[in-house]
Amino acid sequence: MMENMNDIVLSIRGLTKKFGSLQVLRGIDLDIRDGEKIAIIGPSGCGKSTFLRCINCMEDPTGGSIIFDGEDLVDMKVDINVHRQKIGMVFQQFNLFNNKTVVENIMLAPVYVGVKALNRIKRKNAFISFFNTFRKNKKPLAAIETTEQQIRNEAKERALDLLRRIGLEEKANVYPSTLSGGQKQRVAIVRALAMNPKVILFDEPTSALDPEMVGEVLALMKSLADEGMTMVIVTHEMGFAREVADRILFIDEGQIKEQGTPAEVFDDPKNPRLKDFLSKVL
Amino acid sequence: MNDISKMWQEFVTQFITRKGYVNVLDGLVVTIEIAVLGLLIGILIGTVIAIVRVMPKYKLLPRILDKICGCYVELFRGTPMVVQLLIGYWILLPMMGIQVNSGVPVAIIMFGLNSGAYVSEIMRGGINSVDSGQMEAGRAVGMPYSTTMLKIVVPQAVKNILPTLGNEFIVLIKETSIVSFIAVTDLYKSFKQLGDPTYEYTMPYLMLALTYLVMVLVISAGVKALEKWLKRSER
Repeated sequence: MMENMNDIVLSIRGLTKKFGSLQVLRGIDLDIRDGEKIAIIGPSGCGKSTFLRCINCMEDPTGGSIIFDGEDLVDMKVDINVHRQKIGMVFQQFNLFNNKTVVENIMLAPVYVGVKALNRIKRKNAFISFFNTFRKNKKPLAAIETTEQQIRNEAKERALDLLRRIGLEEKANVYPSTLSGGQKQRVAIVRALAMNPKVILFDEPTSALDPEMVGEVLALMKSLADEGMTMVIVTHEMGFAREVADRILFIDEGQIKEQGTPAEVFDDPKNPRLKDFLSKVL
Repeated sequence: MNDISKMWQEFVTQFITRKGYVNVLDGLVVTIEIAVLGLLIGILIGTVIAIVRVMPKYKLLPRILDKICGCYVELFRGTPMVVQLLIGYWILLPMMGIQVNSGVPVAIIMFGLNSGAYVSEIMRGGINSVDSGQMEAGRAVGMPYSTTMLKIVVPQAVKNILPTLGNEFIVLIKETSIVSFIAVTDLYKSFKQLGDPTYEYTMPYLMLALTYLVMVLVISAGVKALEKWLKRSER
């Protein structure tokens, strides 16, 4: 039992979301296990994107709980930024930082986190050494192992490694506006990877792409899946969902109406809405 | 034809022989001083107001500050600059019991307050025009609102803001011609004084127009160059 608990990366209970008087999510329960690939399908406007965006509180949930790393993300007192560093997100519109080059896009968050931690230690040391002047028993200073430049260099190394992996090394120093849609989305995916997230959320990652570019993005996602990355994917690519996902969720009217393995959901749907939906998309 | 050459002769006499240019140069300095310092104050006030107005408004305090800033903007945009200048000089100054021997500081402050309202709208528009996905992407990798704003949104907004800010400077330069209402000798007044001895204003006013035009053309050329330099990261 205990081992089972440790396996669970995200535990969502009774999640609800209201936009004004419009109830978008009506109580969603979901446990996401380590390494699991979950595909979320459903008709447009059913709340599947909203649900995904609630997981890392891009939309503040109205009620329920999301347990991640032993803390409830719905709780406003929890520092959501710390947890978001471990929950990657990939957007439909890529959202690469337009004013940063490709490599800077990938480095930005790791450098921010590293430098922030470094500055915290430095601040603490400054306090300690100040109060040490009044102390008999001097307190030891915290050890500083890196410099800002080192953090930057390491982040850049890692970013270039990631770019090499997706074959875009020569694009490292160009601005995102010069990339194709598929290249942008692949950079966006490795930007999420650069933080070593425990789970990556994909919000319709191929919906804004030209058809001939869908393949390269799906191939990258597939290789992440094969490496055991935990993934939650909102998608309209039924073929991809069937191939990659361990579990398919069908969301309609803000609720999970049916879930199961791809074979169960696609080949033997029970819910009439799901049957209707599949007949239209397959 | 004869008339024009006579007017020109008269103007040259006034401008050079009788050292009218000294006065005109002083007026030019005053005009530029009011416009530049006014814009600087305007940018300062505008930045503060724009920050308040784009901040997320979950809490009560930002909401109250937003309302106050909104009133400020409406007040300064809803009344003519001349009226603000007159109120500042003839009503607010005596009310505060301050005595000045020149209207220039008053003009600078009033133009600063006025352009602050416009600049805040320019900045707000610039920030709002940056795709909301940029903020989302910054927040999604775990950077706080302020960091994302500073590192991602504002640098992109500046590209939209700077050209418009240049236009605001042009408007400001031209609008300073009303400061003679509070007895400041600016470019307009100094040119007018060239014609005063003979009541012949044709040449002085034409030259006045030309001077403003040259200044504006120079500034817009500068703004265009700046714009081009800023856009280099796109494409």
